[in-house]
Amino acid sequence: MKIPRILLVDDEVAFANNVLKLLSKRGYDVIAVNDGESAIRTLGEKEFDVVILDMKMPGMDGIATLKEIKEKEPLVEVVILTGHGTVESGIEGMQLGAFDFVMKPANIADLHEKVCQAYQRKLIEEERIKQQESGR
Amino acid sequence: MKLGSETIGNGDQIGGERGGKNHYSRLYRKFVFLTLICSLAPLFLVGWGIYIYYSGFSRMRIENYFKSQVEHHRGIIELFLRERTSDLQLVIFTHSPDYLQKTPNLRRVFNVMNREGCFFTDLGIIDDQGRHLAYVGPYDLMGKNYSKTFWFKEVMKKGVYISDMFMGFRNAPHFIIAVLRTEGNRKWILRASIDTEYFRSLVENVKMGRTGEVYLSNREGILQTTPRFSGKIMEKAPLPAAFFHKESGIGILETDRDDPNQQFPRQIIAYTWLQNPRWKLVIKQDYSEAFRDVNHANRAALIFLHLSLLVILIISVISTRYMIKVIKKRDEEADRLNKQLTQASKLASLGELSAGVAHEINNPLAIILTENQVIRDSVEETPNLDDSFKTELFTSLSQVDAQVQRCNLITQNLLRFSRRTKSRLETVNLNAFLEEIIQLMEGRAKGMGIQFSADLDKDLPAFLSDPSQLQQVFLNLITNAFDAHDGKPYGTISISTRSNNQREGVEIVVADTGSGISPENMEKMFDPFFTTKPVGKGTGLGLSISYSIIRRLGGDISVQSEIGKGTQFNLFLPFMPPADVQENLDDVFINPHSSA
Repeated sequence: MKIPRILLVDDEVAFANNVLKLLSKRGYDVIAVNDGESAIRTLGEKEFDVVILDMKMPGMDGIATLKEIKEKEPLVEVVILTGHGTVESGIEGMQLGAFDFVMKPANIADLHEKVCQAYQRKLIEEERIKQQESGR
Repeated sequence: MKLGSETIGNGDQIGGERGGKNHYSRLYRKFVFLTLICSLAPLFLVGWGIYIYYSGFSRMRIENYFKSQVEHHRGIIELFLRERTSDLQLVIFTHSPDYLQKTPNLRRVFNVMNREGCFFTDLGIIDDQGRHLAYVGPYDLMGKNYSKTFWFKEVMKKGVYISDMFMGFRNAPHFIIAVLRTEGNRKWILRASIDTEYFRSLVENVKMGRTGEVYLSNREGILQTTPRFSGKIMEKAPLPAAFFHKESGIGILETDRDDPNQQFPRQIIAYTWLQNPRWKLVIKQDYSEAFRDVNHANRAALIFLHLSLLVILIISVISTRYMIKVIKKRDEEADRLNKQLTQASKLASLGELSAGVAHEINNPLAIILTENQVIRDSVEETPNLDDSFKTELFTSLSQVDAQVQRCNLITQNLLRFSRRTKSRLETVNLNAFLEEIIQLMEGRAKGMGIQFSADLDKDLPAFLSDPSQLQQVFLNLITNAFDAHDGKPYGTISISTRSNNQREGVEIVVADTGSGISPENMEKMFDPFFTTKPVGKGTGLGLSISYSIIRRLGGDISVQSEIGKGTQFNLFLPFMPPADVQENLDDVFINPHSSA
């Protein structure tokens, strides 16, 4: 089975490292970056299935990064990390094509579940496209 | 009996900021004073001007009247004396001395002279030696010699002489007119005494009211007639001769306070000098009588002034009172709004702060949570670990989890309190909604010995509101009511609804029979983080969240409480939430869990 490739974008280095560790142990291939620009760059260099994206970041913020990601890699699913105070930004993210959002402080089990669902959806989506292409 | 009442929506305790009653009574006095100044100053100015002008004018008029009277009277007296002198001259120049010195002839002439009135008392012919040649009259003067008398010498010198009043041989006050005729070296004199009574009546017939008097006096100040009040004929006149230094004059005589003999009322006096004889004619009258009309007018004006004063005073008091009432009402309104604004801005800034704090705390919490998971994972993977150590460690880690969840709950509450949370409006059937809540809470209530009593208005219409926020409000209030019964074996929580068609909303009352709220806590109870519950039991946000929710939905909360008896929350909710809440309806609230 293919290992799901995850790009984690969060400016909190400690949080990003922890999540990286935890998800890696749960069988994911995770790369963590700390800002939107690095995320876009890394996305150009490597292929990913799911992006975990923090909304509140210095420099390029979550929404801008999300737009850029969806433009470049529309198939990549995005799970948004958001605080309670910015539920609206989570909703906005979903309107822009994000898969779902997880409220901080995130329980690793919840996050795991969401990432799993996102990955499932990506697989289904890929399958659908493949079938469409072969159908033609 | 109510111990205290705190209304945030309507706000009482007004006026305290402005110094209360004192402030208004000061303002009242100031306004009355200013109004009085503004209205009285022109009144006094106009009144004073009119008074000055009118009294000057009246005084001039009265003085002119006196002047004309005295002049007119002088004319009459002089005319009389001239006519009598002419009478005598006519007789002496048309009759020979021989004819006149015969008594019957003289009597005939005397009678003719007195035909038009009793002007003369007697008539006599006197030769140049001063001997009486003939005499007609009531006195026995025949044979008297006048050569030594002053008048004889004067008439011999001047030809015509009018004497002052004197006693003479007859020993009664009288005066005489004597004329001289010279023919060659022969001289004779026709002499007549004027009827004193007639003359006096002539002089004194000027009637000047009750206190007026007229008299004549000679150059030495000896009275020539008897005044009505001051002195008798031949006596010294009451006024010093020096007073009459001008040919004619008018003036006001003031009493001399230092001289007890000179006490008389204030008088107006007019005088003029006669040409021949040099007598002065004096007319005087008490000032108060002469100026009676003026004084009367002044008194009337004074009464009018006082009446105006009274009217102005009453009007200014009434108008000021009205003004103060209006100002007070405005102030109260302003204070009420101010208080509401203060409360709202306090909550708003606290909301901002709480939202910021909550958000910042979320990040470290997220790290702690993941860190916790990392430890868990590591422990799970480490072989040969003591079981009891593992158990202890996991217990501690669970505790860390639980405490992070607790922090999470607090930040959630904080964020809910902040205004960032948007309302989700739905049609709410409040009665059914409240019954649901009561059902939800009944289990816990029973355990505490608390009963619910609901009195719901059956005709209450369904209306637009935010059910999830309302649920929070009522859960908060009921939880507080539970806590207020802490230590009591039983109690009641009553909930009632009444639709108020006038205010277009519903009035909800949540009352408990708990411990009540002390007056000092009453003021702070809606403030965020204020709690009377033990540490760890309450965040102090419940009521402030409830308050901000109700205010956001366009309603208000007030509370009445009495220590030991219970607390009553009165809520009002409008049937239509405010426009700004309704505008947010477009931002459809998406439940994150429903989309998963």
